[in-house]
Amino acid sequence: MRPLRIALTKGRLEEKAVSLFERAGYDCSALRNKGRRLILPLAGGEMEAVLCKAPDVITYVEHGVCDAGVVGKDTILEKGGTFYEMLDLGFGRCRFALAGPKGTDFFSGYSARTVASKYPNVAANYFAGKAMDVRIIKIEGSVELAPLLGLADAIVDLVETGTTLRENGLQVIETLCSVSARFIVGASSLKFRRQEIEALASRLERAAQAGGPERKAQS
Amino acid sequence: MKNYSRITPEGTRDYLFEECRSRHRIEKKLSDIFSARGFREVVTPGLEYYDVFDPAFSGIGQEVLFKMSDRQGRIVVMRPDNTLPIARLAATRLQNLRKPLRLFYVQPIYRSHPGLAGRSSEDVQAGVELLGAGGFRTDLEVLATAVEALNACAPGFRMEIGHAGFFRSLAKSLPASGDFRERVRGAVESKNYGALDVCLSGLGDSPQIRALRALPRLYGGEEVFEKAAPFCTGELEKTLRSLHRLYRTLAGLGLGGRLMADLGLVQRNDYYTGIVFSAYLEGCGDAVLRGGRYDGLLEHFGEPMPAVGFGVDVDALTRAALERRAARTPSRADVLVHGGDGYELAALKHAAELIAKGLRCETSVFPTEEDAAAYARACGIRRMDVVGSGIRTVRFGEGKA
Repeated sequence: MRPLRIALTKGRLEEKAVSLFERAGYDCSALRNKGRRLILPLAGGEMEAVLCKAPDVITYVEHGVCDAGVVGKDTILEKGGTFYEMLDLGFGRCRFALAGPKGTDFFSGYSARTVASKYPNVAANYFAGKAMDVRIIKIEGSVELAPLLGLADAIVDLVETGTTLRENGLQVIETLCSVSARFIVGASSLKFRRQEIEALASRLERAAQAGGPERKAQS
Repeated sequence: MKNYSRITPEGTRDYLFEECRSRHRIEKKLSDIFSARGFREVVTPGLEYYDVFDPAFSGIGQEVLFKMSDRQGRIVVMRPDNTLPIARLAATRLQNLRKPLRLFYVQPIYRSHPGLAGRSSEDVQAGVELLGAGGFRTDLEVLATAVEALNACAPGFRMEIGHAGFFRSLAKSLPASGDFRERVRGAVESKNYGALDVCLSGLGDSPQIRALRALPRLYGGEEVFEKAAPFCTGELEKTLRSLHRLYRTLAGLGLGGRLMADLGLVQRNDYYTGIVFSAYLEGCGDAVLRGGRYDGLLEHFGEPMPAVGFGVDVDALTRAALERRAARTPSRADVLVHGGDGYELAALKHAAELIAKGLRCETSVFPTEEDAAAYARACGIRRMDVVGSGIRTVRFGEGKA
């Protein structure tokens, strides 16, 4: 049987995920010296780490080519899918917020609003829940630009400290929900490799609780 | 305007040669098993009225349905599920037949999935429905049929069984908001312990809430029943006992470590009321077989009766079978029969004789013997029979000329 394959989100969550695996007692030396390789041995070859972009973590796990993964709740909310979301790992914590130019009232009046977002599904679900018809425009880069340039009335985006918003004259209108990194498991993998996955999950859970300065509040 | 005449719609594809053969073989194996167990085949229309799949009781979201309207403007959909049409059929045309009804089907379902995720919009499903009977023996018969079907087509499977009653009964203690219930259901289904905790915080510490919290963790081997016992009182104690009995009986069918119990198993289709079960294949992310008891469904079609059934994904079994047999070269004809001018009828008769002997035989459509020979060599057909006043056999060596 092939080693248990774990998809890790590259970038923002990667360093924290690797140090979580280290704290849980797994050897991550290959991940520390990865060069340009994308598939790396983990815990001395007992497992394999696959480095990929956040939405791809879900895709690989859903199709059963990776057994488990570490991915942000933001990506899970945007992309959806069928898998087990077994742990809140506690790191990468931030929140989804609706933000607009300071001094404007987004909810006043009856004309339809335009909202820019990197997360069009999250934004659409949020406004559908409020029974509001809103025009949503997908923006790939710095979403803050859209209201500044007059393209949108507000944005739905991830907010960590709020500094970028403030420096660009925007403020949070409402918080949608908080997000953080999650440990996800493929449905089929849990049936075939339950012992291995449960052992991994409980070690990660203990490490996350022991070493997580930023706990509290789950969505 | 863009022209799409040279491609197939997203989520669909052409099936070629070996794939078709393999799929037919799987379909035949399944049909033979079902029919040997007394199930009778039905075919329902590919198009049905939208109302048959009303999301209010089907649990099938309207965004997955392919819709169109008929000449009177009524909404028609491409069949997205096989159980509902069969429930409709059983409640209407078959309502006067002696129960229980044992029906089986092999036919495609159509669902529109979010783009570019590699999921198919058209899947052939085979399955059985046993309508008009409840109880342990009916559940066992359907589960045993599922096990036999999988043993024949994909022996390495894992099967898990659960019971919709656990969630249904525990959810009664939740605040009566459909939205909230759906959030809790989603958290149980995806084993999202964190989200479940958040949902249930502030609802006190009643035995029901404690049981709900435990539900997604109650999965595994037979030890699950012992772990679950403290949470199951009253009605649930009975449910647990009957599920345990089913588990042990199934284990006796030689399932061994391939059988699991998952009390947090809540199928996506909301119509299940009793046992629920799924089966998985290694490396195939989603379940390849799903089923369960749906005692409340027939009522929507005006003829209440208990029922249980399952559907298995024939395409997934076909893929698994093809992988097991690796890349076998597509089978070619054994003989090419070429008739000379004026001997076309004689050639057809000769070919028919060879076919009757069990050979695969193509009749040449080429004007000359040379063209026929070139074709045979290029395609790897090793023998050519030339029919004239007599019959002359030409043999070609290995490889292409």
